[in-house]
Amino acid sequence: MIQTWAIFKESYLHLNSKKLFWVSLIISGLIVLTFGAIGIDEDGMSFLFWDLPFPLNSSWLAPGFFYKFAFAQFGVRLWLTWGATILALVCTAGIIPEFLSGGSIDVTLSKPISRLRLFLTKYAAAMLFVALQVGVFAGASFLVIGLRGGTWEPAILLSIPLVVIFFSYIYAVCVLLGVLTRSTVAALLLTLLIWMGFFAVHLTESALLMFRTQTEQQVQWLRDDVASREATLESARAEPKEGIVNTLRSGFNVNSKEAELTRRREQLADKEESLRAVVAWHTGVVAAKTALPKTSETIGLLERRLIDMADLSGFADDEGGVQMQFDDEDDDLPVPRDDAAVSRAIVEKSRARSVWWIIGTSLIFEAVVVGLAARIFCRRDF
Amino acid sequence: MTSAAIDLSNVEKTYRGRIRALRGVQMRVEKGEVFGLLGPNGAGKSTLVKILTSVVHPTRCTGTLLDAPIGDKKALARVGYLPENPRFPDYLTGGQVLDLFGALAKIPRAERRRRADDLLATVGMTKWARTKIGRYSKGMRQRIGLAQALMNDPEIVFLDEPTDGVDPVGRREIREMLVRMRDDGRTVMLNSHLLSEAETVCGRVAIMVKGKVVRHGALDDLTRHSRRYEIEAAGPLPSGDHWRSLVHGLGAEVRSLGGAPREASLVVAPTDEPEPIQALLDALRAARAVVRSVRPVRASLEDLFLEAVQSMGEEGAGVGGQKGRDAAGKGAER
Repeated sequence: MIQTWAIFKESYLHLNSKKLFWVSLIISGLIVLTFGAIGIDEDGMSFLFWDLPFPLNSSWLAPGFFYKFAFAQFGVRLWLTWGATILALVCTAGIIPEFLSGGSIDVTLSKPISRLRLFLTKYAAAMLFVALQVGVFAGASFLVIGLRGGTWEPAILLSIPLVVIFFSYIYAVCVLLGVLTRSTVAALLLTLLIWMGFFAVHLTESALLMFRTQTEQQVQWLRDDVASREATLESARAEPKEGIVNTLRSGFNVNSKEAELTRRREQLADKEESLRAVVAWHTGVVAAKTALPKTSETIGLLERRLIDMADLSGFADDEGGVQMQFDDEDDDLPVPRDDAAVSRAIVEKSRARSVWWIIGTSLIFEAVVVGLAARIFCRRDF
Repeated sequence: MTSAAIDLSNVEKTYRGRIRALRGVQMRVEKGEVFGLLGPNGAGKSTLVKILTSVVHPTRCTGTLLDAPIGDKKALARVGYLPENPRFPDYLTGGQVLDLFGALAKIPRAERRRRADDLLATVGMTKWARTKIGRYSKGMRQRIGLAQALMNDPEIVFLDEPTDGVDPVGRREIREMLVRMRDDGRTVMLNSHLLSEAETVCGRVAIMVKGKVVRHGALDDLTRHSRRYEIEAAGPLPSGDHWRSLVHGLGAEVRSLGGAPREASLVVAPTDEPEPIQALLDALRAARAVVRSVRPVRASLEDLFLEAVQSMGEEGAGVGGQKGRDAAGKGAER
């Protein structure tokens, strides 16, 4: 334990020597203070003593929900997963490369400590740094949400392990690159590039999921519509006298309805074809994503825990209600789509993904990457 | 036979499958001695020390360090190491460096503090203990490096160019420290380019060339063959059968030195025994030769070193060891 503490202390002194460590903490503090300075009551929103011109009040949006939503969306999704993570990467990216290229590694390796333990302790030290940063932010946010929103939500503290896990995926890549290149700058830049790659895969999958869900809904709608039209036409053909009467009364034209049915069938065939293609692409991207770290979904677990689906549905319904859109407004027989329903279905599908798939497979990726880095470190001559 | 501090019978190191840094090194270092590891650049000295301190993985290694296999962690707890050109983290103070490496050697905190204070005083760095390494001169870093090598009260200390960058006063202090270490019963392996320095403190040496140990033993033994007496006499030597027969009997040779008015003769007798020289002196004086000086002579370590290097057909440097490997590209894996 003496050795472990010594490495932690040395890593802390390393980070402490970099101004960014304190810059990051100060920004976290400012964000929480800003967060706490925003008020919401029956009269509307305010910032310190000034009213804000936003059409939101506590009767429409419960303060507890508002603060939790703001914490999950802005505090965690924007600050912790982007701003703070980039600063943390800048701070910690040098831990391994500087250790490897510095002149003291041979002294360290000559001490009675295994290389694997040394490497993993250095790795864990970076995690501790992030845990400290997130812990301060989450703890302060917990107090703000409790005091200002009137909701004491321990789940907010879940952001500490989730953000640390999220950071660990990225940092694993950074460490591997640091071991390979021995350059902090190269490791950092390449890590940011690869992180963007993960994010691009996530965006691609999200887009494909949206197309898939939308197409599934349209296929279902077209199937129902075709079935309905077939039943109507069937009925008209089965009872010709009444059919003629109906035709005269309502302008029902069997021939035109048959033409529409044929058109709908063609649209259904097209959509089914599209769906098969989208499903194939989506399945492939999901398979690829399974092997990669799921950064956005990991952070999304916090929102899943903090905000109920019912709250989100009510929020969406209140916002605008259900509106039907059409693929092609100029088409005389357009295929409708319900974007709100699609959004709800996407959220439901995303929330249905298991924690194992999100975190478990990501940790497997991390273990493989860290294992590779550790293997290189342990076998290298210095 | 007592157990050795280092006993190596076959150490090989090949970098990237093609650069042979060590070629079957055999070496024995006794406990409690100051041992000099010498050789030209690229001879493999640093590689050998790094293998002994587990910084570099050997390709093949048969031998022991402090009676344990090479790389044994328990044995490493009893080892101190000062690498060449140590660069400790700039954000640490001298005191923190000692504390860090003391902790990595598993020394309890109270003991670390006590030893750090003592060692800082020993290397004359007490005043600078709270100053960041980044503000140290090269000599100060070397002193802190020396102190950290002793933090765990080691039984054996590896010092790679310990006086590099240190001023003459500091060098003398370090030499005195080496002697104190030996007197305290520690084994010291000194890797140095400064042959005069090694000659002053080392009892035994090994000279490495191209990854091989080409000379190995006590300085006295290694230079025994070169020991001789040189008798200088004024002017040409007089005729006389007696002294000539003695010269012949000793296998000595007579040389003429310079010309008038400082013309002199030199009798070189290849022996380190003083008795036969007495008879030769008596005979020379009896023949009315004027003896100016009589001195015992032996080869210096530098002579020995150059002889060893030349015997390997070495021109001084060879790309083979750590530095050669560094030149070829750092970071080789096994």
